[in-house]
Amino acid sequence: MGLLINIFVLALIFGFAGYQIYRAVKRSKQGKCAACDYDCEAKKMLNQSKKHPV
Amino acid sequence: MTTVALLGNPNTGKTTLFNELTDKYAYVGNWTGVTVEKKVGQIRHSHTEVIDLPGVYSLNPITKDESVVTNYLLGNSPDLILNVTNASQLKRNLLLSVEVLELGVPVIITLNMIDDLKRSGHYYNLDTLSSKLGCPVRTTNARNKEGLTELRADLVCEQSEIKPNSPLKLNYPMMVNQAIRQAADSLTKDYKIDAKFAHWIAIQYINHNKVVRKYATIHQLKPLLSQKAYYDAQKFEDQIFETRLSFIENTLTTATEQLQSTKHVALTSKIDKVVTHPILGLPIFVGIFYLMFKLSFDWIGTPLSGYLDGFLSGPVSTWANQFLTQVGALPMLRSLIVNGLIAGVGGVLVFIPQIFVLFACITILEDSGYMSRAALVTDRIMEMIGLNGKAFIPLIIGFGCNVTGIMAARTIEQPKERLITTLISPFMSCSARLPIYSLFVAALFPRHQALIVLSLYFLGIVVALLMAKVYHIIFQAEEHSVFIVELPQYHIPRLDIVWHGTWDKGKGFIKKAGTIIFAGTVLIWLLSNFGVSGYVTQIDQSFAANLGQILLPIFKPMGISTWQPISALLTGVLAKEVISSSMMVLFHTSNQGALIAMIGGSFTTLSAYALLVFILLYIPCFATIGTIKSETGSAKWAAYSVVSGLVISYTLAFLIFQIGSLLM
Amino acid sequence: MNHFMIKQFNGLDTATLQRLHSLGLQVGSDVQAVRFYPFHGPVIIQVDHQRIGIRYQVFKLLTGGDPS
Repeated sequence: MGLLINIFVLALIFGFAGYQIYRAVKRSKQGKCAACDYDCEAKKMLNQSKKHPV
Repeated sequence: MTTVALLGNPNTGKTTLFNELTDKYAYVGNWTGVTVEKKVGQIRHSHTEVIDLPGVYSLNPITKDESVVTNYLLGNSPDLILNVTNASQLKRNLLLSVEVLELGVPVIITLNMIDDLKRSGHYYNLDTLSSKLGCPVRTTNARNKEGLTELRADLVCEQSEIKPNSPLKLNYPMMVNQAIRQAADSLTKDYKIDAKFAHWIAIQYINHNKVVRKYATIHQLKPLLSQKAYYDAQKFEDQIFETRLSFIENTLTTATEQLQSTKHVALTSKIDKVVTHPILGLPIFVGIFYLMFKLSFDWIGTPLSGYLDGFLSGPVSTWANQFLTQVGALPMLRSLIVNGLIAGVGGVLVFIPQIFVLFACITILEDSGYMSRAALVTDRIMEMIGLNGKAFIPLIIGFGCNVTGIMAARTIEQPKERLITTLISPFMSCSARLPIYSLFVAALFPRHQALIVLSLYFLGIVVALLMAKVYHIIFQAEEHSVFIVELPQYHIPRLDIVWHGTWDKGKGFIKKAGTIIFAGTVLIWLLSNFGVSGYVTQIDQSFAANLGQILLPIFKPMGISTWQPISALLTGVLAKEVISSSMMVLFHTSNQGALIAMIGGSFTTLSAYALLVFILLYIPCFATIGTIKSETGSAKWAAYSVVSGLVISYTLAFLIFQIGSLLM
Repeated sequence: MNHFMIKQFNGLDTATLQRLHSLGLQVGSDVQAVRFYPFHGPVIIQVDHQRIGIRYQVFKLLTGGDPS
């Protein structure tokens, strides 16, 4: 496997990991539902209502 | 499009009915004030839209979620209201029905849970009920899907086909009646308010309905505002209540029919005799949790998890390694994928069985009706620390995830009680901490796995309660708290509901494996493979080792003698599951068995227990910190929870290790 | 058996009063005390085929006397 592909895959993994950490920090700043990983009924509703404002 | 609003007391099976009648929530409406309140769905193959409103005892709200219903009725007029009632508690259910019937919107009343009523030995004559109340009355049993086809047929009809209801007119005492008529007349005349609505709003205003009074103030409804003092001085509120109740009693007496075969199987009474026993109640509560951990650790969870681990660390790991070697991947990439991701993320994923079994148990507790019993048996203890038994429910939900626990604390009426519950929530042992417990108990307490884990959960509860007491004294919270719990009939948990609830809770864990646990594992792999000199082959020269060794002296007094767990603890702030995956990476092991052996070698039972206590109580994860910040509205409380967690966990772990060493 | 009659609602805070009313309790209601918890813990009462848990102090206020 070429060096390039190796580096590409590594970059992909690190990039994704970095993005996830960044997102976790950002979401925890928002708090509330955004910080929670559990997709409870209330959250589903909240997200839905954001998509289709009534 | 026909709009049907579902309305009724809590615990009448409204949501079950809603889910049976409609497709998955089509969309959700947002209402003034509170963010999320009503669910909207559509009846299959029809133009009928169903709105599920939160359960309320009356239209005069006490808590914020209850005001949603009144606000909805003030601002919207549904084509039809489906009033869901609990057939065996019709008396108090009808108190709400009367309020709704007075509105004059078409209403269908359904007596839900009709089988419970039949079992109690009597029945109601539906025609009598219907003529007395002036609206159609149906019977259903949503859990067994009884009567649903007929009910659906009633709801699926064109707007024009719905028969208009005239508002229910009760014989209020003369003075009250006069007051209602006068107010309603001038509202209709001077404010052009629809006569029916004016009548209803007058009754509600006189009846001291907070939301309606606010509405009247906003709209400057003078006829009502000017008479406020008079209404209150005359105690019209009490008279209205009495009139309604005697009307209902009257109606029910005429409609009651005795059933011949009274096979009175009081299942609920029998269970309650044991479960809510004054002395045995608490031990049973503990026993139920012990059983939960026994199931997830000893009986079902761990054996399944063993198979999963065998598969991931065996065939999957070997295959990936061979594949990567064949395609010519760099050793670094191979190490990242095999020793980092597969070992780390996989090391957490193998706990899926345990966590799902635990979630299934919590769902069964929620669905069966045990939760309110738990609130009851714990109330005396909670009262001592200045909270009430109902605060126990958010804490139990916190066993799943602290964030949901903190969110559930929103239902607590008193602001100070809510703040206290929020601050103690992180001490509840969330499911993310299970993997690390599981590793340690397997290594050092193989015979008493469930017992040790249970002791940690209870230690968490004890610390939470003690802290609550401390906060209670510091905040000088008032004594008054409303504690009224209904003890509903027990239900035999239905398989699909349990599965649904378990999946809803558990899929978050799987999602986390692909996001934050993945990221944490990559981070710890980086830290353990790079050092000041760049890429290192010896893990002892890595950043992770350096960091751990610097902090080692601090952790020595609690019995930790190696640097690996310390570095793992640091990454655990991202998410508690990451502690486990970090341990996998740092100890350079590819399967659970090897890691357990390593742990067994570098810990004693005592130091392991001290470490577990530390893990239980130390800094909350990012998500929880953020939630505390947003729920309390200040970064100070979030920072405080980090510091207090560290201090408490360190002190306790230190004491356990030091005192334990003296004794052993 | 442990039958009591509700004598009065005076002295309760409005929220508790309102909730009890909504559960169908009124002066003169027949209340069966199903269970007392030790140390003046909550009381389970049965009214119209429904069971409710309330605090001991509230129970005492309602029945207006010493429940023995």
